[in-house]
Amino acid sequence: MPSQNDSDVRFLMGNEAIGRGIIQAGCGVAAAYPGTPSSEVLQSLVRWKKELDHSIYLEWSINEKVAFEVAYGASLAGMRSVAVMKMVGLNVASDPFMSAAYLGVRGGLVVVVADDPGPHSSQTEQDSRFFSWFAKVPVLDPGTPAEALEMAVRAFEISEKYQVPVLLRPCLRVCHARQNVTLSKPAPIANVGPFEKNWTRWAAIPRFRLVLHGELNEKIEKMRLEEPESKPVPILNGSGNSIALVTSGSVSSHVRDVVASDDRLKDIDVFKVGMPFPSQADALQQIVDSHEKTLVIEETYPVLELQIMDRRKVEGRLSGAVPPQGELVPETVEDIILKSLGETPTEREAPKIKSRRPSLCAGCPHRPAFYMIKSIFDEAVYSGDIGCYTLGINMGAVDTCLCMGSSIGMAGGLARTPTASNGTQVVATIGDSTFFHSGVAALINAVHTGAPFVLVIMDNSVTAMTGGQPTPGNPYLADGSGGKPIDMERLIQGCGVDFLEVVDPYDHDAMKDALEHAKKHVFEDRNGVAVVITRRACIRAPNAEIPSQRFRIGDDCDLCMTCVKDLECPAIHYVKGERRMEIDEDLCAGCGFCVSICPSRAIELKGA
Amino acid sequence: MSEDRVYNVLIVGVGGQGIILASDVLGKVAARHGYDVKKNEIHGMAQRGGSVSSHVRFGKTVSSPIIKMGEADVLLSFEQIETLRYFPFLSVDGNVIVNDQKILPPAVFTGKQEYPPDVLERIREKVPNAVVVDGIHVAENLGNPRVVNVIFLGILSKYLDIPASTYEEVLKESLKPKLVDINLKAFHEGRALAAS
Repeated sequence: MPSQNDSDVRFLMGNEAIGRGIIQAGCGVAAAYPGTPSSEVLQSLVRWKKELDHSIYLEWSINEKVAFEVAYGASLAGMRSVAVMKMVGLNVASDPFMSAAYLGVRGGLVVVVADDPGPHSSQTEQDSRFFSWFAKVPVLDPGTPAEALEMAVRAFEISEKYQVPVLLRPCLRVCHARQNVTLSKPAPIANVGPFEKNWTRWAAIPRFRLVLHGELNEKIEKMRLEEPESKPVPILNGSGNSIALVTSGSVSSHVRDVVASDDRLKDIDVFKVGMPFPSQADALQQIVDSHEKTLVIEETYPVLELQIMDRRKVEGRLSGAVPPQGELVPETVEDIILKSLGETPTEREAPKIKSRRPSLCAGCPHRPAFYMIKSIFDEAVYSGDIGCYTLGINMGAVDTCLCMGSSIGMAGGLARTPTASNGTQVVATIGDSTFFHSGVAALINAVHTGAPFVLVIMDNSVTAMTGGQPTPGNPYLADGSGGKPIDMERLIQGCGVDFLEVVDPYDHDAMKDALEHAKKHVFEDRNGVAVVITRRACIRAPNAEIPSQRFRIGDDCDLCMTCVKDLECPAIHYVKGERRMEIDEDLCAGCGFCVSICPSRAIELKGA
Repeated sequence: MSEDRVYNVLIVGVGGQGIILASDVLGKVAARHGYDVKKNEIHGMAQRGGSVSSHVRFGKTVSSPIIKMGEADVLLSFEQIETLRYFPFLSVDGNVIVNDQKILPPAVFTGKQEYPPDVLERIREKVPNAVVVDGIHVAENLGNPRVVNVIFLGILSKYLDIPASTYEEVLKESLKPKLVDINLKAFHEGRALAAS
């Protein structure tokens, strides 16, 4: 590890740079829920804490709302604090987030919200800058990892100066970009003094909320005028009066490179805004007024564009010049600019290569669970959820995917319809982390109302999709220190569930029994919700148990394709020309489930 | 080469092929050589057997971490068909380095669709001097099938203007000590293959 001195330079991912900025700002509490592209922020904080022997408190919270509330509580107690999440996580945390804007903060409070234009790994392309406008919270929009570090530090300063939460919004192309970043020494953990009782503020009733709303409006107007990031800053100088281009955030990096590398674009003046809300509308208007045409290129909603009052000479999303959806990658940016200038866009051919769909890993415990759900409940409606196990789509075992935890709430509704009364069964599937995140309340609701469906909780002991972060079921916390594991069975029984069985998904017969019992409990005996936990650690988890056994496909194979079509195992494939199936031993994880389900019993243990 | 020149290297393949490590080493090498480097990688869902790409850009001043279509100087592909997928990124005089490996997409498992038999021909039709190397074979001869990515890093290094010693330094710092020797061997094997 290189020495920690003032001129230390590291090749860092954007999220690691943000983590470093949080440490350098003297932040004392960080709470997060994992979600691509934000997950590496808290993971990097774990490493910075260790490397610097720093005393920052870190937690993977149960969900984003709780993460925000933990950070907010620490702020009221005087600490600089941060909550980290992806953009759909801000939807979950929106209730406390909106209210906190009115009440304000004490220690600087930063909310890092990573956006995913594209979307590459998310449900929506929502623009968190728009959310910040809605909440009347300032937002900083970094364009590179190095800028993200600086802005993380600035966000704490602005938050403390105005006593409002500040949103730091990196897009995926900042989160997962890397560059050399210069590190500074961390400031000591800041504390503005212990909690001060004042119910008219911290527990304000509506009468005082009106006053606080007025104060918030004043703060926003003040920072719009006084903070340098609210002003558009020239980053490329053109001819000075023909074309202006206003941009912000990660897309500003593409804009800069596209304009700087093309002689046809040398007349364009490019301006960048670091704080898109509240931005200096007057300064933006001046740019528009002093140029023949102004192009606004921002990701993903027209936040700057809408703050320009007279838009008659403005082209952007509102004028249709910028596509209303999809990521603005460099070639899109080039097309937009060339078209706006009346130049012919570059012709590009895209060969039609079928997309390579992701699939559950070989040996993934979700695969046999889905297979058995499909075979026991063959005509059911499968209410799915968010995680690796959304890939149950490939096996035809996931019909819906709305948002975190929605499988259980939606199952309650799907089970109340005439089709459900006529025998269409409903089976919900959810992972352990998602269940803790937002499934528990829906389960209580289902139990209380007697909703007739089967719930399968696929407990693989980690938040797998985002890189294996710990869940509340683990006996350790984010930084590896001890935590009290939450007993899932006790939790479910505490919710009032009468039917609960726990099985190993690799165990075909036990799974079959458990699911048939659950089916009888709900759909024959007409009881309420039945819960089956399929429990086995993710094969990528630290506590994974990967069997060393390997298998071969014998002569009895009649090429029925059950193992590749229904079980969808990526370790098995058809060998063309030889009319036989083959198991790839490097990919095979030895689960042996194919042996149990092969209709012609053709798969056998190697060496047996 | 002009001082303002920006180098664009696109590294592609399928999740699990060591693309992130290879691109990370290249990024660090270019930064150590004094270039302004921006690099982008794909995380999340795509890692579960999906298509993975990593963009590395370096030069005097570089802002964006992603390569504009039609501007990649080198396309390094660890899988045959992924080469075709990313062809639109290649510049008119760009170089192509291909690992001669086929990773079957799920639709091919069942035999319903075929893996196109003519991928290498299609690559050579467009880029006659494309370098195709059976990386797994070379790696197995070296005694470790997991060094394919570093063999190709060695081949790639011959197309760039940075001394081998810089790669060696970064590899030594980036790898576990017990893996350094085999990877240095793999890197130089790659350089030798590129020269031959």
